[in-house]
Amino acid sequence: MSVISEKEAELDQVMHSFLSFTLDGEFFAVDVKKVIEILEVPAITKIPLAPKYLSGIINLRGKVLPLVDTKVKFGLEPVEFTVDTCVIVMEIKIEDETIQIGTLVDSVLEVMEVADNAIQPSPSVDAKYKLEFIRGMYRKDDDFILLLNLDEVFSIEEMNFLQDQNIEQTDAQDIKEQTK
Amino acid sequence: MSNLRDVYLEEAEELFKRIEEALLLLENSPEDSSSLIADVFRSMHTLKGNSGMFGLTKVADFLHNLETLYEKVRSDHSLLSEDIIECTFKSLDHVKKIIYDPEIEEQENIDENQALTDEILKILKRTEEVSIDLHSIEALSGMVSYLVFFQPKHDVFEDGTNPILLLDELAELGKSKVFSHMESKALSDSFDPKVCYTSWNIVLVTEKGLDAIRDVFIFVEDSAMIEINELFDGDILADQEFHERLPEVDLPSAPLSFDDFRSLIEIDRPSASGDTEIEVIPETTDSSTEEKTEKTESTPEPATKKAPVETKKTSTSTSSSEEPSVYKNKVKKLFDKNKTASSIRVSSDKLNELMNNVSELVTTQAALALFTKNNFDPTLDAISDNVEKLTRQLRDISFGMTLVQVDNLFSRFQRVIRDLSSQLGKSVRFVTEGGDTELDKTIIENLADPLMHIIRNSLDHGIETAEERVKNGKPETGTIKLMSYYSGAKVYIRVEDDGGGMDPEKIRKKALEKKLISKDDNLSEKETFDLIFAPGFSTAANVTDVSGRGVGMDVVRKNILDLRGDIQVESELGVGTSITLGLPLTLSVIDGLLIKVKGTHFIIPLAEISKCFELDRKEISNEFNSVIVLDDEQLPYLDLRKEFNLGMEDNPEVTSVIVVHKLGTKIGVCVDSIEGEYQAVLKPVGKYYRDQEFISGATILGDGSLALVLDAYKIVERKMSKQKVTA
Repeated sequence: MSVISEKEAELDQVMHSFLSFTLDGEFFAVDVKKVIEILEVPAITKIPLAPKYLSGIINLRGKVLPLVDTKVKFGLEPVEFTVDTCVIVMEIKIEDETIQIGTLVDSVLEVMEVADNAIQPSPSVDAKYKLEFIRGMYRKDDDFILLLNLDEVFSIEEMNFLQDQNIEQTDAQDIKEQTK
Repeated sequence: MSNLRDVYLEEAEELFKRIEEALLLLENSPEDSSSLIADVFRSMHTLKGNSGMFGLTKVADFLHNLETLYEKVRSDHSLLSEDIIECTFKSLDHVKKIIYDPEIEEQENIDENQALTDEILKILKRTEEVSIDLHSIEALSGMVSYLVFFQPKHDVFEDGTNPILLLDELAELGKSKVFSHMESKALSDSFDPKVCYTSWNIVLVTEKGLDAIRDVFIFVEDSAMIEINELFDGDILADQEFHERLPEVDLPSAPLSFDDFRSLIEIDRPSASGDTEIEVIPETTDSSTEEKTEKTESTPEPATKKAPVETKKTSTSTSSSEEPSVYKNKVKKLFDKNKTASSIRVSSDKLNELMNNVSELVTTQAALALFTKNNFDPTLDAISDNVEKLTRQLRDISFGMTLVQVDNLFSRFQRVIRDLSSQLGKSVRFVTEGGDTELDKTIIENLADPLMHIIRNSLDHGIETAEERVKNGKPETGTIKLMSYYSGAKVYIRVEDDGGGMDPEKIRKKALEKKLISKDDNLSEKETFDLIFAPGFSTAANVTDVSGRGVGMDVVRKNILDLRGDIQVESELGVGTSITLGLPLTLSVIDGLLIKVKGTHFIIPLAEISKCFELDRKEISNEFNSVIVLDDEQLPYLDLRKEFNLGMEDNPEVTSVIVVHKLGTKIGVCVDSIEGEYQAVLKPVGKYYRDQEFISGATILGDGSLALVLDAYKIVERKMSKQKVTA
């Protein structure tokens, strides 16, 4: 890999490595430098009353990591577990502290090399996802891959924003159950 | 660079502490002054050096004056006076500030810097006069005369060594007289200019010690013959007669030996050690007494050196040292610590990582043990046993590493009490006990503020003024005792004062006034004292600088509870008050009860559980007001399934109810089943779950799955607040 990137560097191109994965059939990618490892889905311990996008906690060799359901995070239906479902352990920076989190994705594809100039700005017209989350787009064959800006996606404020929405949801559930 | 700066700041912090500790001991036990002053001086010197190295030149400059002052004090202990110590404390505080403002830009710091520098210089000037007037003789104490014989090998010039430079360097150490000798060959025809024929005898008078002399020759050790002998304890070169007796011939062919010099000195001295001289006096004739006194001057005896120090003791010990042995022990300990300082500095991150790995090892080992039991194989069994043994040792060692002696914490208060008591005009003796008790580092860090508050309260409200104390028949000096001891699985820290104590009547009145209790409430004494922990409660007649703003004790209690500790007050009017904190040994391991609710494991800390029993679910499921009756006691209860929205399907017929208590409130908690006791290694669940405060952490079970550790207090609180909202 490094040999290739060196050759490419000679061609005056800055290369970035990205790990691609799918969510609901769409393609996403994150900077490999942020990825610690990829796991098969381990035993998940749910934390009661937590927002829906937090699936629970997992035990990674003695470390307790929060597990984020990336699909719920992006407003999709929760992940359904299949043989392809994976947990990507990533390192993100929140509130000046680097922490590790697990993120659930439908499937992991590959590590790809992307030249700087091949990254296109994302089209703002179809703003299905918050634009700060998207670092850019990359066209591979017929598919578009969204390159994610991780620190933004998983920042606490962003999480809190979501949480508020979710708490309203759980409260609503609460009331429903009580009326039952 | 910022990394290095951190190291510097950390080290500076340590040095500050060291200096303060030594100064406080100096105040209390001046008889051991020499080692303490030397310690202060060394620390100051290191601090100055470090500051200079990091480019904080202004800090270094400031410290330089202070250092000079202590250099003086070091050579003449009687110079040390209260105002010097006071000034040092102020200067230290100043330095603590300016290491964060190294260019000294803030006006406040500029002024302070100037004022303190002036003060130090003033003291310096005064001490200079004093030392010239009265103590000129003593200033020479520590001077030792050495005879240094230095004979380079013949080929020494070949590696570019210039012996003369070494002699110059030697001369800088103190007073010296050099005698050179030349081999006779040098004068013959076979003279070779590339060969060194010369050797030297140097009489050197210095206070720097043997090591400093050796350092001079460090690079020529292999290419020269060097002999260093102690010639005389004192300044031999100050003795005129010695000069007269010295050989007049320069460049003798054979160098004088050590014994030759020795005999030169000893002609009229019965002993070179100089401590029997006074006894000799009666036997000597009048004509020589003059000479004798001169000698006693040049070789000050330990006894005369001590005298001024001892008189000083009575003058400075205002804070009264009734237990000098305590201080002596402390002084000894301080220096014992120096000697056995075979410790290294490790970042707490690394320690945490080690702890993580060790606890993971413990769980892996548990899994191995389980596997071995199920698949019997004698070889595997032996291996597994060994792994278990090693794991346990490793665990004990690594857990031990995170423990810190509470002494670290206690010594901080010395200074505070000293400053505050003089500010309040009270005379207070501070005694600590059990400083070697060990506690988790995190607990110690979080204890500093609450303890500080308690001690301030004792000082401000507890200890009466000296007049009042005398009137009540108590000793003038009040005592605050800070002690720490183990008992069971807990560490207790107790603050005791022999002050006025708390008046339950006064507390009642105040509580009524603040509407914390109603008139009909019949409170026991203990309940009354517990009122001081209520938010917004303060009995201090007037709010002082030190305490009395009423934001104190409730915060103290909260902090202690957060550490999973408890707090107790005892007080007797006119006799004193004592506050006892009970704390867990470590925060990372808790004894808990493992329970199961709908497939998920939870752990409730044992300390919060009062009892458990089983109930038929039918008995409680239709209860409208959520109250169950147990042992003729009505208990509110909550069902964890309901509480956590886990759903009611496949609910077991018989449920277990655990009665948890916190802050006097009891509540029943319904769970599916109780699995047993479990020693949980607590791990944080991370920032994402910070709104789920009822989870204090997670722990890894033997099979690698996770269990959630519940904070019973938070659950109760949650339940209560919810009830209020719905009501």
